[in-house]
Amino acid sequence: MLRYLTRRLGQAVLVVAGVVILTFVIMRLVPGDPAVAYAGPRASPAELAAARARFGLDDSLPVQLWNYVRDLLGGDWGVSLHTRQPVRDDLFQAFPASLELVGAALVVAIVVGIPLGVAAARYKGKFPDLSIRVSSMLAVSVPVFWLALALQTLFASGLGWFPVAGEYDANLDNTSPLHVYTNITAVDALFTGNWPILGSTLAHLVLPALVIAAYPSGVIAQMTRAALIEESSRDHARLERALGFGETSVLTRFALRPALNPVLSLIALVFAYSIVNGFLVEAVFNWPGLGRYAADSIRSLDTPSIAGVTLLVAILYVVANLAVDLVQGVIDPRVRSR
Amino acid sequence: MRWHKRLLAAGAVAVVALTSACGGGKVRGAEDSPQPGTSQSAADATFTYVPNLDVVTDWDPASSYSNEIIAMENVYESLTRYNPQTKKAEPRLATSWTSSPDGKEWTFTLRPGVQFHTGKPVDAAAVKASIERTIKVGQGAAYIWGAVDTIEAKDATTVVFKLKYPTALDLVASAGYASYIYDTTAATGDLGKWFNEGHDAGSGPYTIDSWQKGQETELTLKKFDGYWGGWSGQHYSKIAFRVTPELTTAWQLLQRGEVSFVQRLNSQLFQQASGTANVQTSQTPSFQNLLALFNTESGPLKDVRLRQAVQKAIDYDGLVAALKGAGEQASGLVPDGLLGFTAGQAPKQDLPGAEALLKEAGYGPGGKPLDLTLTYAQGDSDQEVLVTLLTSALDKLNVKLTAKPLQWTTQWDQGKSKDTSKRQDIFVMYWYPDYADAYSWFVNVFRSADPISFNLSYMKNDGIDKEIDKLPELTAIDKAGAEQAYADLQTKIIGEQAAVAVPYVQNYQRAYAKSVQGYADNPAYPNVVFVYDLKPGA
Repeated sequence: MLRYLTRRLGQAVLVVAGVVILTFVIMRLVPGDPAVAYAGPRASPAELAAARARFGLDDSLPVQLWNYVRDLLGGDWGVSLHTRQPVRDDLFQAFPASLELVGAALVVAIVVGIPLGVAAARYKGKFPDLSIRVSSMLAVSVPVFWLALALQTLFASGLGWFPVAGEYDANLDNTSPLHVYTNITAVDALFTGNWPILGSTLAHLVLPALVIAAYPSGVIAQMTRAALIEESSRDHARLERALGFGETSVLTRFALRPALNPVLSLIALVFAYSIVNGFLVEAVFNWPGLGRYAADSIRSLDTPSIAGVTLLVAILYVVANLAVDLVQGVIDPRVRSR
Repeated sequence: MRWHKRLLAAGAVAVVALTSACGGGKVRGAEDSPQPGTSQSAADATFTYVPNLDVVTDWDPASSYSNEIIAMENVYESLTRYNPQTKKAEPRLATSWTSSPDGKEWTFTLRPGVQFHTGKPVDAAAVKASIERTIKVGQGAAYIWGAVDTIEAKDATTVVFKLKYPTALDLVASAGYASYIYDTTAATGDLGKWFNEGHDAGSGPYTIDSWQKGQETELTLKKFDGYWGGWSGQHYSKIAFRVTPELTTAWQLLQRGEVSFVQRLNSQLFQQASGTANVQTSQTPSFQNLLALFNTESGPLKDVRLRQAVQKAIDYDGLVAALKGAGEQASGLVPDGLLGFTAGQAPKQDLPGAEALLKEAGYGPGGKPLDLTLTYAQGDSDQEVLVTLLTSALDKLNVKLTAKPLQWTTQWDQGKSKDTSKRQDIFVMYWYPDYADAYSWFVNVFRSADPISFNLSYMKNDGIDKEIDKLPELTAIDKAGAEQAYADLQTKIIGEQAAVAVPYVQNYQRAYAKSVQGYADNPAYPNVVFVYDLKPGA
């Protein structure tokens, strides 16, 4: 197991190193001068020269790459050209909000997706199966941006059931200031007993979390269905049926647990995907997460911030993949020897 | 504990540890906020402003030169404030001012009894110290004080500026950037660092309440009790800036009554807002116009006849109609509301005239084909409309226009290229003045420059340079003479030299709650709402 772990960690480090180099090269290939982006459109030649000196833009590319890697290893992700703050601080500010949103979405996706998958497998080939498969196909294929606007217009602006946008009612900062420990508002509000902010955050979470949950719900439902159908056709299922267990019992008491292994692996991968998929949803619902930060960075050609977001997302993917591999390695020893 | 439970526990600990590092036990919201559960007074009216971009990049009043103007103008004050109706600077921290006959010495009398938010008095010494610091920092728009030689605090309420050359210093002092008066003694250490931690040292009606970079409500300002204007009568006591990049979301927030003012909507939403019961709208010409700068130095447009032909090919009326209120016809180079504006100069499309000029130069229908390149701002839908209309009009004249949408830095780099073959034939960009003086267009865009900065028509004309150099003095001492000089220069630059076409002036289209009373746009301060001047209604 230790050899397997070391090999997988080494591969993960190589992937991250590749992403760092690729990110740096793309940063430098993008047309436009970062010094202009930092110093402003009307910067004087002296201001531009100062900006170039500050960011080492006059050094050769290999020297710039070396400095970038050295700084990254030292925990310095550079300075954002549009916020003028360290990129790492900006990411620490924005990432927990995205984590909160995607976390809530995944809870919804699991709670909805797995029962739907079970129901589809139970009624395979019948109307419930067909309708669940069609719905999950729709959930997977509908563009999140469109779905976000549609739900916002209908349920927030039209019916007024939910807030239009934001993470919580900002007026509560005056009446119920929140003590921040994790930067995940719902968690901080829960742990500090700040019920007004907790209630407001949960209300604000509903619509964006539902939109982000659409894709993973569909995928989880389909994967659960397929895994259950496969599992329920094995010898042990025939034996269970012969012993008099009904079809629902065979599926839920015996087949579900082994069938969930690939589903759990899928959830880890869908988590990383949902962080990126949520960028547009964050823009529509004004959620102060990575998506808004990335959009602002792209708009202002803020290459250090764009690189920071890219690197963070790459690390999330690598960590999610690594976690899946390790879990599978623990479950199935055959994986370790491949 | 089984393996998967251990893994789950380790994962949970890692997430909590990571996110704890992000937070660190700070209190979100205002420092002096009441305890949980207590409520605000009903009289605490909050004005909620919805910008599309993050509000604050730089809190230092010396170097601030970005979107934070929308907050800074409510926190800081300058000596004067520009009035676009009278085209004059009006009292703000200075109650009156005089200039010497040669325009090289200006004496400002300060409003007595004004305090900074730090509690220190706004006196002549503070004015001298803040402007001298701004000049020394030398960033952003600090160049506007370039004419200042010395500043003297004659007595507590009298400041005397001696200038190196004549300039309308009352206009300079009304600038939206770099003209703020602030307490330079507010911090014991590095003042710039102190400002950028989210502190202020202004004298305006509002002071910083909370600043949370990256949050939806990025900034809140609260009233400064010691404001010289007083708080009798109805005023908003708080301002919240709720950053909303998505225009549709901004509109829905306004419709729901959750916000007071939306900085920008697209034309479709603006029309919808105009017909909505609980919303009011306003449309005001800005000081920002679009310039199509023709390459006078190299390429086919070196021939003035071709430049004039392109000027005539632009469908000015069609463009304004297509913009649906987002722009209006320009009349000359200087927008209305500034000294130098010339009425009755709105250009018209003249395709037969363009064809005749092209034929004279050997091009046009039946003549040699002409290929032109144009660069414009990527993602600017208004500029895209210009490009579409111009491409279509030129196509009928046997002129092929290749238009490239580019990021500003790329467009500018290409325009400034030392290799003239890499430059474009037509450079499209917006221009706006840093303070309410039309001189900005002429000195930056049309005065000879080496190396090229913003003179992207590459015009080099000694006669025009000399006339441009006279403008500051005329503006300072002879307004009528300045008006004439501006008119003459526009005739030369647009008419004779055909170095530029001005397709339209941008309009500000605002939507705001019916309850907001007394709002008027002041184009000298882009996107600024002077909230103290508003009345909160029911």
